[in-house]
Amino acid sequence: MELKEGKHRILMVSDFFYPNFGGVENHIYLLSQCLLKLGHKVVVMTHAYGNRSGVRYMTNGLKVYYVPWKPFLMQNTLPTFYGTLPIIRTILIRERISLVHGHQAFSTLCHEALMHARTMGYKVIFTDHSLYGFSDIGSIHMNKVLQFTLADVSQAICVSHTSKENTVLRSGLPPEKVYVIPNAVDTTMFKPAPERLCMDPIVIVVISRLVYRKGADLLVEVIPEVCHLYPNVRFIIGGDGPKRVRLEEMREKHSLQDRVDMLGAVPHAKVRSVLNSGHIFLNSSLTEAFCIAILEAASCGLLTVSTRVGGVPEVLPDDMIVLAKPDPSDMVHAIKKAIRILPHIDPQEMHLRMKEMYSWHDVAKRTEIVYDHALRCSNQTLLERLPRYLTCGAWAGKLFCLVMIIDFILWRLLQLWQPDSEVEPVPDFKPTELKRG
Amino acid sequence: MADLSIISNARFIYKHDNHKFPLPHAVDTHHIILRRSVVKPIFIYLFAILLVGYAAFLHFEKGKPATTVGWSLFLGAILVKFLIWRPVVKESVVIMPEFGVQLETHYGSGRINRRFIPVSKILKPVLNEHVTPVTCCWCLSLLIRDENELTLVFKKFRPPLKMLVPVWKALCFATDCKESFEFQEDG
Repeated sequence: MELKEGKHRILMVSDFFYPNFGGVENHIYLLSQCLLKLGHKVVVMTHAYGNRSGVRYMTNGLKVYYVPWKPFLMQNTLPTFYGTLPIIRTILIRERISLVHGHQAFSTLCHEALMHARTMGYKVIFTDHSLYGFSDIGSIHMNKVLQFTLADVSQAICVSHTSKENTVLRSGLPPEKVYVIPNAVDTTMFKPAPERLCMDPIVIVVISRLVYRKGADLLVEVIPEVCHLYPNVRFIIGGDGPKRVRLEEMREKHSLQDRVDMLGAVPHAKVRSVLNSGHIFLNSSLTEAFCIAILEAASCGLLTVSTRVGGVPEVLPDDMIVLAKPDPSDMVHAIKKAIRILPHIDPQEMHLRMKEMYSWHDVAKRTEIVYDHALRCSNQTLLERLPRYLTCGAWAGKLFCLVMIIDFILWRLLQLWQPDSEVEPVPDFKPTELKRG
Repeated sequence: MADLSIISNARFIYKHDNHKFPLPHAVDTHHIILRRSVVKPIFIYLFAILLVGYAAFLHFEKGKPATTVGWSLFLGAILVKFLIWRPVVKESVVIMPEFGVQLETHYGSGRINRRFIPVSKILKPVLNEHVTPVTCCWCLSLLIRDENELTLVFKKFRPPLKMLVPVWKALCFATDCKESFEFQEDG
């Protein structure tokens, strides 16, 4: 099955994919599905999850390679620099890939794949999904690795303008190479309840991982205050994490057991029903590149109250969201305002507006434009590419050049050992109708 | 007279014997034979002989101890074993429709390992993509009733897909499985 003119064969690489659940995983899956619908061929590569190892096919023939490299820290593959070169080369040749798209700065498999793909002459694209700091030791090292990977990337994509600024500062990438394509939401899945909920009691929903980054400590201060000011307000908290204990203690201390429901971890399929049981969605994150959770809430017709951090102000129009500083008193003030304007909100109208503003098909079309630009970049030899690594730093630059030269030599040796012609291309499968008999 | 079709690549030769005598389509045999190169063994043997010769020269002319010759013989034997000796020379599949399938492994020492699987025990032959930490290749396996694991048809060899497909089709036909996927190969 030859692809039509202008259609590409894309390899998505990340440590984060299903069966693990999260924003990056969802993004890769939904973007791949929309690209398949546009006529491109998409293959995903990730590490094995427990027993799930080898090749799997998902909906619409999305092929996933679960490569049996063991994860060592927070779902990341052990970084061996050159260990993944043989398998990545094999996959790139047998699937006849034209373009490699890596996701998430925290994924070691992504960095290694992009490095090897560049050595072998493929065009690479990188999407950054999160904001990172500059001052702590972990961030400094991460930013150095990012500088190395992005020194020679064809194009980069960020999910918000704030994220673009953050990525450009961290990696030293020229801003002209970075495109901003926001995430989207599946509006067919997130619909408001058919009948509007009655306004008494007013239900405020919180669904997030209960960790420091997501502002669980702010919730501990805000909830008792709001419950004290408004006797007809109830809270529903979905999600689990290390800070859950603090919230339980808060409940006990202020005797709010009948006004604050703790649901524990909520599977993604149930999120819609939890959102439909509320009027207001509260997001207290301390940092966020983009926030898909508030998109889901707005798609379900909830008014959002959120902290003004990172890319959050770019997500929703001003009449759908009330922003506050990440400070308990300011957040209480914002909740008061939200409760005041709640009667003027129409969930169905909000949902229709979200449907027009955000769609994964739109994200796929914009990503396709980035792919076309990437493929138009000129092919460069190793010697032409090395000067870009030298700009990364006095010592780091030379070290990165050495890493790339060794990678090139190893690739050539691998080609002598097993020539490209020996790797068989995979035939494209087009599943026919199953015969019923 | 046997119908013969041959496919070959750098490492393997595939041969298909479709015997028409005594009965047409009674026995269908597929062989995968490891290719032997001619030049490489000559060089290796020459090198081993030179090594032993040099050790002998050192012993007899220069007075080095006899263990030098012993070590050189040992080294030569190691080189020959690892670079020339092929433990497995051929793997075959003998298909008897309606009856069963016999898997054979022919070793370099002359030993032949055979395993017969009756057709009633075979659920389906499958072509699988086998992913390891360093590579990915195709392998043909059988799903056997009451067994948890797949049975590989070619245990030691990893022949290319173009050699596995005719064997897979023949196995499907013999075990009466309808192919549920058609695929179009790129030109």
